[in-house]
Amino acid sequence: MKSKRFQVLSERPVNKDGFVKEWPEVGLIAMNSPYDPKPSVKLENGVIVELDGKKRADFDLLDTFIADYSINKENTEKVMAMDSLKLAHMLADINVGRDELVKLTTAMTPAKVVEIVGHMNVLELMMALTKMRARKTPSNQCHVTNLKDNPIQIAADAAEAALRGFDEQETTVGIARYAPFNALALLVGAQVGRPGILTQCAVEEATELILGMRGLTAYAETVSVYGTEQVFIDGDDTPWSKSFLASAYASRGLKMRYTSGTGSEVLMGYAEKKSMLYLEARCIFVTKGAGVQGLQNGSISCIGVPGGVPGGIRAVLAENVITTMMDLEVASGNDQTFSHSDIRRTARTLMQMIPGTDFIFSGYSATPNYDNMFAGSNFDADDYDDYNILQRDLKVDGGLRPVLEEEVVKVRNKAAKVLQCVFKELDLTVITDEEVEAATYAHGSKDMPDRNVVDDLNSTEDMMKRGITGIDVVKAIKKSGYDDLAESLLGMLKLRVSGDHLHTSAIIDSNFHVISAVNDKNDYRGPGTGYAMSEARWNEVQDIPNAIDAADYK
Amino acid sequence: MMDNAVLEKMIKEVMSSMNKEDSYTSKTESAPGARMTEANYPLSEKMGKTIKAPTGKTLDEITIEGVMNGTITANDVKIAPETLEMQAQVAESVGRDAFARNLRRAAELIAVPDARVLEIYNALRPYRSTKAELLEIADELESKYCCKINSAFVREAAMLYESRGRLKK
Repeated sequence: MKSKRFQVLSERPVNKDGFVKEWPEVGLIAMNSPYDPKPSVKLENGVIVELDGKKRADFDLLDTFIADYSINKENTEKVMAMDSLKLAHMLADINVGRDELVKLTTAMTPAKVVEIVGHMNVLELMMALTKMRARKTPSNQCHVTNLKDNPIQIAADAAEAALRGFDEQETTVGIARYAPFNALALLVGAQVGRPGILTQCAVEEATELILGMRGLTAYAETVSVYGTEQVFIDGDDTPWSKSFLASAYASRGLKMRYTSGTGSEVLMGYAEKKSMLYLEARCIFVTKGAGVQGLQNGSISCIGVPGGVPGGIRAVLAENVITTMMDLEVASGNDQTFSHSDIRRTARTLMQMIPGTDFIFSGYSATPNYDNMFAGSNFDADDYDDYNILQRDLKVDGGLRPVLEEEVVKVRNKAAKVLQCVFKELDLTVITDEEVEAATYAHGSKDMPDRNVVDDLNSTEDMMKRGITGIDVVKAIKKSGYDDLAESLLGMLKLRVSGDHLHTSAIIDSNFHVISAVNDKNDYRGPGTGYAMSEARWNEVQDIPNAIDAADYK
Repeated sequence: MMDNAVLEKMIKEVMSSMNKEDSYTSKTESAPGARMTEANYPLSEKMGKTIKAPTGKTLDEITIEGVMNGTITANDVKIAPETLEMQAQVAESVGRDAFARNLRRAAELIAVPDARVLEIYNALRPYRSTKAELLEIADELESKYCCKINSAFVREAAMLYESRGRLKK
């Protein structure tokens, strides 16, 4: 006889998820592996000659890079001699400030940071994250993509997402050659929603840089780093090529962060018997050494791997914490379909949403899940109301705000219309009134008319060949009569003259004032300190359209 | 992933469309006046009169009118080496030395044309270059573009790629 209760349980969404037992020998273990190296450091004449049990003669490319570029050598011997449990206490202690801790944490080796966070439970790690994140004000980032690479829909979705509160927006492509249209549509649409939104187009490294050089994007993020030399090489880069790329971005006035995440090395078959968190710590150290301002991590596209092992979501939180310990901006994941279970995917996101991070999601899907070309996200457009109500229930600032249907329809329509004009002025393919109307009211690409893909791709090629830049886009918008929007777009381009937005954790407000970890330092020291919602912001979060006002019943 | 053929094509397009106008700075100069700190940040607000595009235009001079009448071009919305040096000093004032080093490498690379930057990046990828080719790039960076830090960085890569077997086979 079968148990009816077990029958019901077996059909629950959570049981459609994949789970796996720990297997430390191949690196299928989240953290605290018996095979992880023990922390150690030795200096001779100011050079690190031993790192986490390995002698300099045995260093691979990553060891050499980390030893020479990533560790503050002045303090390292002193800090390495400190008790890891004591350092874990300090991280969780509200009486020890971020400034004091960063001096210590940036002088450690990868094995040392992993040992320290290995002593901490998720609550303590969340305390550490709230205190250690670089920017005081938390923020959020979204994905704007669709199955058809429809640029009109991208513009409309970007405008709505900006209105809803995302400070950064990221697009990518289904068909690689669509990249210039997607970047252009996102740039224009986001500025319609709110001036000052940073946008990027995630494509192959060199192409991404070209789009940035042309002024069609403002930052880049999909610059991947890995925790073992072999996986780094398989990713077709070295720490030297990636560092050079980082400097190339800064030289063109473009913000950038690296990407990494637990699980990538074991998935690519070269985990060298190390835990996922230890290998991720090495990625974080490479990022630090390259002098990049920040990192997107939190497993990212490999979330299924830590998600399947015991303590995996704790490790994902721990990798976000280590990033902040290295004094880097953290765009903290939550950006790929993770579980069939709504309960599980919410719990996973609360780890970052409650403490607050520089970007809680490094892509909340601003489209329905089926349109998300990054293989889905943990939250999507259909979850907007749930997310807003979570903020309201917990009085937590997750970076979004409730909006009215009328205002959404209005900005979507404007974004689609502006893009129609821009395409016309730049002599790109035609956008019809029918498409503008469809994008205004669409839920996703299923509601959009099909475009002639061959014509579009010829047009993107022509656009690149003609060397269309951000300045040409400004002109096109001004000629179309959208004066304010032309000013906003020029404002985005002027950012790169000052480079203020290159700094750690930078976002831009609607007056083009840069808010970063230089002028908005996280000063959390317990209750009554650090970030708190202003009264205006709290009123905005509370004000959901479907809340009943008792005054209506008097 | 974009395939190499498409990539190569894009790079060639950049070369043909932007080649000549790119080397707008011939030398790196140190930032004017006193060292910058976090008190000077954001530079766009607090040092708005000092910072200039490599073409010499100030932020106030970069206007919509200028864009429309053609006096402002894409070259006026780029960062100058002096400005990156100032930002590196701001970074150091808040303890971000590694980030400051990146900004200084970047300041040097402003002088290198877009297409050449992309080519050097590709040459630094694993198995792309022989040791001699990397050393040649290092010499070019130093002698042609005054990129001393980047030159040393590429030389270091050449030695390490050799010892780890990551050079072109």
